[in-house]
Amino acid sequence: MRAKSFCGSVDHAISRRGFLGATVAAGASAFADMTGLDQLGSSALASQMKKNQKRVILLWLAGGASQLETFDPKPGVQTGGPFRAIPTSVPGVHISELMPQMAKRMHKTCIIRGLNTKIGDHLNGAQLMLRGRRNEAGLKYPDIGAVVAREMARLESQVPDHVTFYTQTEGRYYALGDAGFFGARFAPMELTTENRPGNIRRRDGITALDHQQRADLRVLLSQQFAKGRSSSTLGSHNEAYERVRGIMASETLFDVTQEPQKVRDRYGPTQFAEQTLIARRLVEAGVPFVRIGRAWWDCHGQNFETHQEMVPELDHVMATLIDDLHERGLQDDVMVVTLSEFGRTPRINASLGRDHFASAWSMSMTGGGIKGGAVWGKTDPLGNTVSDQEVNAGTLFATLYAALGINPHKNYYVGSRPVPLVDEGIEEIDDLIA
Amino acid sequence: MLTHRITLTIVLVFAGFAPAVELLPANKPIETVIDLAIQARLQADGVQPAPQADDATLIRRLTLDLVGRIPTLVETDDYVGSSDPNKRAKLVDRLMASPGFVRFQAEQLDVMLNSTVAGDDRRQGSVRNYLRTALADGKTWDQIFRDLMLPNEDDPKTKSAVNFLKARARDTDRLTNDVSVAFFGVNVSCAQCHDHPLVADWKQDHFYGMKSFLDRTYEAGNFLAERGAGLVKFKPTRGPERSAQMMFLTGTIVDSPTVRELTKDEQKREKELIEKAKQDKKAPPAPPFSARAQLVELALKPKESQFFARSIVNRLWYRLLGYGLVMPLDQMHSENPASHPALLDWLARDFRDHGYNLRQTIRGIVLSQTYSRSSIDPREIPPAASYFAVGRLKPLTPMQLAASLRIATRDPAGFAGMKPDERERQIESLVSGAAGFAAYFEEPGDDFQIGVAEALFFSNSDRIAQEFLNNHGGTLLGRLKTVTDPREAVTLLVRTVYGRLPNADEMKGLTDYLARRTDRTPEAYKQILWALLTASEFRFTY
Repeated sequence: MRAKSFCGSVDHAISRRGFLGATVAAGASAFADMTGLDQLGSSALASQMKKNQKRVILLWLAGGASQLETFDPKPGVQTGGPFRAIPTSVPGVHISELMPQMAKRMHKTCIIRGLNTKIGDHLNGAQLMLRGRRNEAGLKYPDIGAVVAREMARLESQVPDHVTFYTQTEGRYYALGDAGFFGARFAPMELTTENRPGNIRRRDGITALDHQQRADLRVLLSQQFAKGRSSSTLGSHNEAYERVRGIMASETLFDVTQEPQKVRDRYGPTQFAEQTLIARRLVEAGVPFVRIGRAWWDCHGQNFETHQEMVPELDHVMATLIDDLHERGLQDDVMVVTLSEFGRTPRINASLGRDHFASAWSMSMTGGGIKGGAVWGKTDPLGNTVSDQEVNAGTLFATLYAALGINPHKNYYVGSRPVPLVDEGIEEIDDLIA
Repeated sequence: MLTHRITLTIVLVFAGFAPAVELLPANKPIETVIDLAIQARLQADGVQPAPQADDATLIRRLTLDLVGRIPTLVETDDYVGSSDPNKRAKLVDRLMASPGFVRFQAEQLDVMLNSTVAGDDRRQGSVRNYLRTALADGKTWDQIFRDLMLPNEDDPKTKSAVNFLKARARDTDRLTNDVSVAFFGVNVSCAQCHDHPLVADWKQDHFYGMKSFLDRTYEAGNFLAERGAGLVKFKPTRGPERSAQMMFLTGTIVDSPTVRELTKDEQKREKELIEKAKQDKKAPPAPPFSARAQLVELALKPKESQFFARSIVNRLWYRLLGYGLVMPLDQMHSENPASHPALLDWLARDFRDHGYNLRQTIRGIVLSQTYSRSSIDPREIPPAASYFAVGRLKPLTPMQLAASLRIATRDPAGFAGMKPDERERQIESLVSGAAGFAAYFEEPGDDFQIGVAEALFFSNSDRIAQEFLNNHGGTLLGRLKTVTDPREAVTLLVRTVYGRLPNADEMKGLTDYLARRTDRTPEAYKQILWALLTASEFRFTY
């Protein structure tokens, strides 16, 4: 859209109300519970018809997990560390011996070993790896959670669109969920202290009946106000209140005790395991995006002890989640991603640690439109550089979006300015898309 | 040579800025000029404007826009009941003379200076105290611009103005864009990597030209400092690397021998200065030639000041009317003309001719008939926003919302019993206590979308229940303890929160509810109050 079209003549004055009205009518047959929406006007969301309902669980390995102790081991070289590499279910592909369960499931998973993302500090690295690009002066981009929420959320959704868990305090500030220029509608429901969201439960001081009836009174008053008035913001205000009851009802989704003991045992007793199980409950109920922050992988010292402790937990939880999704027939609808702000140096420092390293590191994607068993990118024998099939943050995000069925080259508009979902000139990797 | 050729092109392009039609005479009142210009376009296109808003709506709108809160019931009653033909101008003057005006305008300017299109509000609040002092002292917009851009850390009154630059000194790309957006209405960031694809005005030379004025600014220890020389180089999309000149957005270039790279000695000296600043806890001395000061002087020169004047006028207009004469606010260039070019030029000229006096322009806009139109438009297809034919819904800012919640839930009789001065003090104290609460809400931008977190917060948080739904002494719910007649109770509730009488549907719906809740009447009042506070009528300036 060129700025010149802002001439403001009557011809261009397409009625927002008329347009949305038509959309709402068309959608009405598909969705049962849209009562009241047309009296109250509709938000910008109403114009989006959701085609497919893919969902994402992002396991965010905060602080920077080591590629050498996970997906790109270099055993036998001086900087390789103490762990061996083991064969996987994909012939010729080896991963760290700390991940035996994932090794058996490698044919379901895609790993990228050729990440060169250049930014090696936590804040900017995390911002880059949650958005696929850096914020520019004057424009804050939505993160992947906000994008998936906006693209996949259903109009009539009774559940949250965008949920983040980040219980540890280390590094939380670096990786805050952020809807950028999309605004509060797509901002995450952030869980930091407990596994149940705030303000989701009715207070003890009010009865269920009063809670319901005052919401009805609110509708009565808002309908009076909406007569002869229309605005997208007004629509979003009423829609937000329309969603309250559904979100409150979704409280049980966050309650892990609702799962059979057998399932809970399978995931394991750790907080990370429980949150991952909750994430599975959420995506199963239609939540488009859940991120679980697992901190703190930042091993400037004692890299090997830390990874020996944390990688097996990741391996177990990830494998269990992938199995669970398969058993539920969700493997094509839900993508499981592991990602950090960066990887770790091949060089081992004096404290037996590995430092920040963004030049040649790895991540994984499983299901949800990603080709299983694919490995993309190669690093040199020491792991210092990418020797083949280098991938930057933009390409990774383009691939991820394309696999989810989101056109990575689509434009959003900030005022009249078109802002493509990924930067211009960036292409997805077709070979990784199922 | 090359740069000069570009300058020439720019001058031609900016000729598009010159008014195509004769401007109305300078001595006409602002409000008259506004209404003539808006009316002319409505008439030319055969668009019918909405009628004027009623008095209760107008005092609510004016009070929210000028002092950032809803009016108390006694203020509304006095205004609606007055038969004084000059009551609107008197109200505007009273509000603008009140401490709330300085408080709220400082807040709004702070948000404007520190937000981007993306709503990056992390820097908000940093210059609010400075702005309050400046506005209370009657400073004009050019003086505020000078204080912010050329801060004097030794002057206690303007000291905190330094935070505007300091927050950005480490990233001079960001500084360049923020200064261009905040003061000139131009987002040059697109031109950082390539000439702007759509806008002939914006070349890479503009971004790096503006950057050349600001790139010498840096942080020394905890102080702001500026180098005496510097050279910005950039790689054009085609051809070899180029050196930028100090070039303003109009294409005007400041020639200076200081446009050069620092010598090795100078670089060493800078490091020493930083160390010394840290040790002495004192800012390094200012350079003999300040590039930043050159930018300020140039931007305010008569032939150059159209960017400076037009941008702030457009922003004031946007804030009061809910839609700019130029939209988006940071895209003021020749490819994106104003909806009413002659009006914008007249307002910018008037603003400049009256010494960049913000008060005068604000007062003129809110006295216009254009400002006071009803926001109700029964037509199926409403006219485009750029006609300003219908009042626009504006979501309350976080501070407006927090302050209004506090006022709406007080006992209106308390305000009514006070002398005006006392009432003003009481209101200011209520409002200043609302700042922490405001942090729960998001600053609205264009096409603002309210999220479910806000609805959950109002629905289920302890804070809302305890702070606004209690019936302690001095509260509206406390007053309602003595009211038994349902119609009287509903009337008091609706009048206090909305400043108007309930309509028939509301009266019926709310009294029916009370009739079903006779077992627990105080609880029922509480639920009605909650519904009034969360319904859309409370959430918007309308």
